[in-house]
Amino acid sequence: MGLEQLIENCKINDTKAQSELYKLFSSKLFSVCLKYSRNYAEAEDNLQDAFLTIFKKIDQYKNKGSFEGWLKRVAINTVLQQYRNEKVFDIINDTQIEDEEIEVDEDTISIDYLLQLIQQLPDRYRLVFNLYVLDDYSHKEIADMLNINIGTSKSNLARARQILKQTIETDKTKQRLQSL
Amino acid sequence: MNDKKHIDRLFQERFKDFEATPSDTVWQNIESELTKKKKKRRIIPIWWQYAGVAAMLALLFTIGGSYFYNSDKNPTINVVDTEREQTRSSNIKTAIETNKDNNTKVVSNDGESSKIIRKSDASKLINLKSGTASNKKTNINNNFKNSNNHVAASVGKYKTTTNSEIVTSNVNKTVQNNESLIALEHAKKEIIDASKEKTTGTKIEEKNKNNVSIEEAVENAKRNASKKNGKNKWRISPNAAPVYFSSLGEGSSIDPQFNNNSKTGEVNMSYGIHASYAVNHKLKVRSGINKVNLGYSTNDVAVYHTVGASSSTRVLENVIAVASDAPDNLSIISSESINVKPEAFTTTNSSINQAFAYIEIPLEIQYAIVNNKFGINLIGGFSSFFLSDNKIYSEAETGTRTFLGEASNINNVSYSANLGLGLNYQVSKKIDLNIEPMFKYQINTFNNTSGDFSPYFIGVYTGFAIKF
Repeated sequence: MGLEQLIENCKINDTKAQSELYKLFSSKLFSVCLKYSRNYAEAEDNLQDAFLTIFKKIDQYKNKGSFEGWLKRVAINTVLQQYRNEKVFDIINDTQIEDEEIEVDEDTISIDYLLQLIQQLPDRYRLVFNLYVLDDYSHKEIADMLNINIGTSKSNLARARQILKQTIETDKTKQRLQSL
Repeated sequence: MNDKKHIDRLFQERFKDFEATPSDTVWQNIESELTKKKKKRRIIPIWWQYAGVAAMLALLFTIGGSYFYNSDKNPTINVVDTEREQTRSSNIKTAIETNKDNNTKVVSNDGESSKIIRKSDASKLINLKSGTASNKKTNINNNFKNSNNHVAASVGKYKTTTNSEIVTSNVNKTVQNNESLIALEHAKKEIIDASKEKTTGTKIEEKNKNNVSIEEAVENAKRNASKKNGKNKWRISPNAAPVYFSSLGEGSSIDPQFNNNSKTGEVNMSYGIHASYAVNHKLKVRSGINKVNLGYSTNDVAVYHTVGASSSTRVLENVIAVASDAPDNLSIISSESINVKPEAFTTTNSSINQAFAYIEIPLEIQYAIVNNKFGINLIGGFSSFFLSDNKIYSEAETGTRTFLGEASNINNVSYSANLGLGLNYQVSKKIDLNIEPMFKYQINTFNNTSGDFSPYFIGVYTGFAIKF
């Protein structure tokens, strides 16, 4: 069954097609949820909500543009929606900081470790970092999505980078000390 | 080791092909949610189907009932007529037969028999009676006489049945028939043609029965006719009502963040037409069709009026921008979106206005407490609603309205439980004036509301009823 046929069947709430669609895209979307959520359990909850939204609104997908892109946006929206409910975005805009070149050593850094770093970031920093760095949204778009202004988005990103770098470096020194 | 990289690139590269398999419980949860929804969806249509069947039956009964009452009269009379015809012909037959018999057997008595027949022909029942009495008295084992009596009786009866409007004659006839029966029984003992007599005897009995049924049919018909003239069973009533929409609990149909915002119900209009049928003088069943507009405002909302419609709508959980039927628009990014300055929206106080319209089909029962020139009724039932319009606007203090989009969580078909009081005043025999305050508690209106949002509306339906 082609993807288009699968989508059509999902539109008429065909259970088999829904299961098939889930099998095809769950790992991809779970990675999105993992990046945007605080932890594994929350990511699973978000994935569940995302798929329910997808099945509910799949008839709004009119075969224009990439289906995977659409799914991803729904997933991101689901996570953002959750934070909106929690009023995460009400954080006072922080004072703007200068964006500096942040470079890190990259040798034995595992993806699990990086994921852990992202998840440990404060909510807004994590969202901005993910949206800007990993999902190619512009500051203008992010500002719009999170109801903040562009300056805040930029400053949040810089802070996120700083925190990530610092954590990586301190972890490294710890490792080195341990290996000594 | 000193392969230093910009931190962005490090993450980008690592996450480029990042995939992770969620645990099986996620799909199990999704599946159970999906089947739950399906079940929910299934239950309501069945209920609706039953209601539809009930409504159809009610309609059939009423229309069919009135039709049968009308056609009832004619068929019964027709049946009786043919029976009468049959008995008549068979009586004549027996009369001829017995006459033949008599003619051959006892010639001398011929004159007497014809006398009796003549007498009965004139339908002088008393004479006939005495004839039978004398018959009884004499009882000269004269089968000829007896059979003549019988013939006379049947002829007389035939005559009276043709004059079936005279009930008393029927009674007389019954008495007379009984007497002739007794006479016949007497005769039976001595007559050689016992079997023949028996059959005519049963025939007479049958006839008696027929007579009763004719009476009854006539009386029933009369009763029905008088009933019909007295009451108009059907009513058609056009109506219009101001309707006020509100919610019982705190909550929002638009977005959870508005749960605690104050909400103002709107007064809109509903108009339509009802048809009702009086099952009896206390109870009426009614249905119809109404157009209903409903709406309410969520107050104290800041943000939306400064934002471009397409981008702001995505912020709300249950709103979809109408332009977003293209899938790409469902994304939060939109090229025409305007950047939001926080200062711009914190200063303004606007509201969100949700408006929707339905085609309503009620099915209600109306019970009359007082049923005079001025009537008081209790009304209960339910309505089915079919969504016809659905819009969400933002409304600034200045009064400017911006179309935000459609609510994504309003069900296309929903229901309400209805309760109300009906007051009516009889202007003429054909026309009543009505005023009906109704409370309609909505069920299944939204499929995703936050907080405790239980919508209802109140309407005061006024109109007139044409009776026929």
